[in-house]
Amino acid sequence: MIKRKYLLTGILSLAITTTVFIKSSTGKPPISEEDLKLMNEELINLIKKGDQLWHSEKLGTNGLTCANCHPDAANSNPHTFPKFQENVGKVATLREMINWCIQIPLEGKTLPEDSEEMKALEAYSIYMYRGFKLKPGDNSKAYPPVKVKEGPGYP
Amino acid sequence: MKISRRNLIKLSATTGLTAFTASAFSPLVGIVNVAQAKPFKKSKVKPFNFAVIGDAHLYEMPDHRFDKTLERAVSDVIKMRPKPDFVVFIGDLANFGKKKELLKGKRILDKLTKAGIPYKMIPGEHDWYLDLGKAWKELFGSPFWSFNHNGVHFIGLNSILVEDYWTARDLTPWERMLAIAELECHICGLWGVGEKQLQWLEEDVKNLSPDTPVVIFTHSPLWNYYPRWNFQTKDADAIRQILSKFEKVIAIHGHVHQVVYNKTGNMVHIGNLATSWPWPYPPVELPYPEIVMNRADPGDIYDGVGFATTYIDDTFLGLFKYKEWADLIPEHLKNGISL
Repeated sequence: MIKRKYLLTGILSLAITTTVFIKSSTGKPPISEEDLKLMNEELINLIKKGDQLWHSEKLGTNGLTCANCHPDAANSNPHTFPKFQENVGKVATLREMINWCIQIPLEGKTLPEDSEEMKALEAYSIYMYRGFKLKPGDNSKAYPPVKVKEGPGYP
Repeated sequence: MKISRRNLIKLSATTGLTAFTASAFSPLVGIVNVAQAKPFKKSKVKPFNFAVIGDAHLYEMPDHRFDKTLERAVSDVIKMRPKPDFVVFIGDLANFGKKKELLKGKRILDKLTKAGIPYKMIPGEHDWYLDLGKAWKELFGSPFWSFNHNGVHFIGLNSILVEDYWTARDLTPWERMLAIAELECHICGLWGVGEKQLQWLEEDVKNLSPDTPVVIFTHSPLWNYYPRWNFQTKDADAIRQILSKFEKVIAIHGHVHQVVYNKTGNMVHIGNLATSWPWPYPPVELPYPEIVMNRADPGDIYDGVGFATTYIDDTFLGLFKYKEWADLIPEHLKNGISL
């Protein structure tokens, strides 16, 4: 009888432990499809804003845009940052490089690195290189972006 | 027949071997002969030079960086010795098709005429879509033409004609221009020369014999390079078909702002540098990957840009030399590319 009591207690505590373990290992419930859709929409909005800025002469003063040298964000190589940039003379992030392009070829005023505009430009560049392996420090070559079949290159 | 020395001399005189010998001492020796183009049997060409400038993309604002680079190309051409017989400007003189931009460009290019070097023009999309070519035609005449020079037949076509993308979208002329001013315009569609110019071309070459040396200029390439950026001409197949009767055709294009080379059938194709800025290579394999330019420093307005000169010898071998100012051209291409 005693043995049976111990056995039941054992089974019960095992069950409690397992439940607690499962709950703590998964944390919050998975993100719902609906929420994922909303999150992705927010991202695409930012990319779209980046695309518009990328093609806007408002970033500079001489009429040039980022897209003059980087159509479809080509050669912006976001997956190779941070890396040593000869033109800035130090290891630079993508945001620092974007600011260099705004300041020198576009003859414009740099953006605050945490600004919405900067995040949008970065998002557009990175999205056009989606699927590329991270290669921080890679100065060996210029990489063309993903091949765009139609439209702006994002949904 | 056994070829004796005597016979060889005889043969030289009749079959153009003299021309071959002459060219062995010409500037064509030691250059990258990717085309392996065979010299013409009989020499009918009087050797000469011409220059190609293009993709200036001038803005209306004064003292713009692109004014400086076009000015430099024009000044270099004027200083060339021997003097080029003529210059072809290969499209995109203006950036937004404004009359003021075109007039600024004309003022710069007219320095060539003043120096005794005539120039011919073909349009690019940046010259055209603000007023559908009105100002360009007023200033430069017909956008397609042909002429003969020293035994070579030269043709220029307007290759940037697209179907109407603006009416249904209710775009203003300025919006129409801004859309196509983006290389990756995704509402503009593919461009070409259209039926009228194809018929004109057919008529133009109808009475020329197959051994006529032909050089054709278009803004966009006459082969399918990267349609997404309109690095193509929609009716290039039809053009190549019309020109297929010739032994050899040299095709020179702009628009790509980069060093690029290809060969299709009887044609050799080469892309010209811009005087404004370089375009990156698109995400496709190059047909001749060894014919590329070095990376450019975007902080130097004279890097990544330039123009070209072409020497045509008496056997219709061309030597295309990219002229640049900042070590853009790799060592093995510095002496020129044979066409």
